[in-house]
Amino acid sequence: MRNTTVVPFALLLASVAVQAQDRQARAASPNPNPFAGNPQAVTEGQELYNRTCTGCHGYDGTPGEQGPALGASGRRYLRISDQEIFDAIRKGIAGTMMPGTGLAETDAWKVATYIRSLRGTAIDAPAQGNVAHGEQIFWGKGACGDCHMIRGRGGLLGPDLTNLAGRRKLYSIRDALTKTEHRVATDGGRHELSLAPLNTYQAIRVVMRDGKTLSGVLMNEDSFSLQMLGSDNELHMFARDELRQVVYEPKSLMPTDYDKRLTPEEFQDLLAFLSRLGVSRSR
Amino acid sequence: MKKLLLSFLLCAAAPGFSQSYLDLVKADPNNWFSYSGSYGAQRHSALKQIHAGNVDSLTVKWIYHVPRAQELEGVPIVSNGVMYVTQPNEVEALDARSGRLIWRYQNATPGAGHNRGVAVYERKVYLGTTDAFLIALDARTGSVIWETKMAGASMRYLGGAPLVLNNKVIVGLYSSSGFVDAYDAETGKPLWRWSALPKPGEPGSETWAGGDAGKFGGGPTWLTGSYDPELNLIYWGTGQANPDFIGDKRLGDNLYTECVVALDADTGKLKWYFQFTPHDVHDWDAVEVPILVDAQFQGQPRKLMVQANRNGYYYVLDRTNGKFLYGTPFVKLLTWSSGLTAEGRPILVPGKEPTVQGNLVCPATAGATNWPSPAYNPDTHYFYAVVTEGCSINFRGSDNFQPTSVSSNGTGYVESPEEEKRWQNYVRALDVTTGKLMWEYKQIGSNHYGPGLLSTAGGLLFAGDNQGVLTALDARAGHPLWHFSSGEKITASPMAYSVLGNEYITLISGPNVITFGLPDRK
Repeated sequence: MRNTTVVPFALLLASVAVQAQDRQARAASPNPNPFAGNPQAVTEGQELYNRTCTGCHGYDGTPGEQGPALGASGRRYLRISDQEIFDAIRKGIAGTMMPGTGLAETDAWKVATYIRSLRGTAIDAPAQGNVAHGEQIFWGKGACGDCHMIRGRGGLLGPDLTNLAGRRKLYSIRDALTKTEHRVATDGGRHELSLAPLNTYQAIRVVMRDGKTLSGVLMNEDSFSLQMLGSDNELHMFARDELRQVVYEPKSLMPTDYDKRLTPEEFQDLLAFLSRLGVSRSR
Repeated sequence: MKKLLLSFLLCAAAPGFSQSYLDLVKADPNNWFSYSGSYGAQRHSALKQIHAGNVDSLTVKWIYHVPRAQELEGVPIVSNGVMYVTQPNEVEALDARSGRLIWRYQNATPGAGHNRGVAVYERKVYLGTTDAFLIALDARTGSVIWETKMAGASMRYLGGAPLVLNNKVIVGLYSSSGFVDAYDAETGKPLWRWSALPKPGEPGSETWAGGDAGKFGGGPTWLTGSYDPELNLIYWGTGQANPDFIGDKRLGDNLYTECVVALDADTGKLKWYFQFTPHDVHDWDAVEVPILVDAQFQGQPRKLMVQANRNGYYYVLDRTNGKFLYGTPFVKLLTWSSGLTAEGRPILVPGKEPTVQGNLVCPATAGATNWPSPAYNPDTHYFYAVVTEGCSINFRGSDNFQPTSVSSNGTGYVESPEEEKRWQNYVRALDVTTGKLMWEYKQIGSNHYGPGLLSTAGGLLFAGDNQGVLTALDARAGHPLWHFSSGEKITASPMAYSVLGNEYITLISGPNVITFGLPDRK
């Protein structure tokens, strides 16, 4: 037998990965935050933050005039526990422009909870709402399942959402449902021009040499070939010279008016459902 | 007529294609649906646009670099213009004409070891993972349709490509014993499991001293087998008994290690077995791909199964009942046995067992051949294999071994220091029914395993080597007609397919998927 020696190493790798990615195991010592993971506190903390902290920091945790972003992708944070964030809010950070704030202890914990939620993904601080009803909206009135797949069920044209809340932040999910600028990378940043075509879900329409047209989403392309998933749910692969025209549609296939299509309650319940879509790494 | 033909061709490649069981049985040469190219595992493509007369103009069409990969061992699968390539726990779908990435699936569990490919059926792509999940992906997007944990304590999937039959996915597994499992292709539901080791009291248990094979373990099923749709039999090879190099505690033949077994595809029940190396102490796994051939044997049309075994003998069996028909050495350096009995049992030469001090044996433990795939060309009636001539010094770990969970207790991977017994690879062509050497091609600088072979109806045999060179050999005469230096050690077998009438040959070399074709027509 040949592969014997590599297996212990494989198991080791797997266990390291499970440890590294197990968010539940992250808090080694008890968390003093009475609101840890509390979705209501996240909402209240967001309001408090936007009212209190945006003189220096940016709105919703983005970079501000004088203070850095508190929930941006790619940043490494010096204060990572709830306690450290709470201390910074209450006492300020010596040697910097960050002053101690006058926030009450309870409010400071809520802001800390909110800031932590910015750094995790949606599943760490899921939206409140009726999850079961949200699921009904997903497959029913919202028609999300026409294009998106969850655990093997649903359509193909949009991204698979099985692990949506494990990849994206809550605000980025909300943006995707309500804002036109939502073609985003996995961690919910702004539309990144450097995305590989297969991650952009760029809507395209091609006209073949015989005049037939085909709509769908772009999977990949270069100067000589183009690969797409058609609205017929089939892969189509072309050499460029087999195409008379390629039209890059200015708008995504994803509707962005769910806050209008759905009642506020339905929208909130859909968010509650979506923000819990995750795959356990430990299995 | 031409127009009609064209529209037929377009239909054949039209969207909506999903390969059925019938497609898999027919093994349409435009596609490469399975690890060995067809159920009979001949690794022979009926395509002949590329042939002995034009192969010298073969050129690179595209290269795809598999991220983070090295020494890939998988065989690409091609279905209707889409190519699926793997590394452990990852699948990538490529446009088979341009090499452009269509989608990538990455399992959350980081991969390690080797993956030898996926299987396709209808609209699904089947992947085994290192943590023993069988995963069905949507062939168009890579979305997970279902995943099934292949049950068993410390169960391991060792990377052999799954084999899909009529709505069944067949997978080899190991957890101190080798297993062959079947799962429902549509739902992932487990259907049956065959264990390579008999339980105490079951037939075969008497071939283990004490009657408890499980105390020792063995019989890993780490390579993909073959299948006869008419007989509805799956043919699968099994590996060594544990401990590999020490036999005195496990006296007996140690069934069903070092066998090829025929399993009923519907039930997983053992129909017959043939044991190549009873009571093996040299780790000569019998997992080499069993090739199914229908041919005249001694004047009679027979359903044959042929295998060049790691132990140095080439075997011809009747695949309906497992009867041994013929066997002969395919290497010159063979010292452990003086021949085969009428039943195909090796006649042992005394004193060739591994010792604590080390004992010379030929062929080496790495084998006269190993997992790299053989091929059969029905036009030449030649069986082709990558063969290693050479000997090893085989050691047992201790004189007083006690069975434990440790599977290996010694080694046979020490190359003989004597110059004439050092390892050297050849591509050899054998007459399929007599095993007679028809020609050989020496692969200079290659001495270990060597990648597998591809035969084509263009009268060609494609062979890669350790030095990174892919060579097209004349199928009848064995001389090189074309070669290409890929720049990486080749550890995978080449394959062939066509898209819109153009034939391609794909080789995975190191981390690169390299596809060749004839120059574009201007």
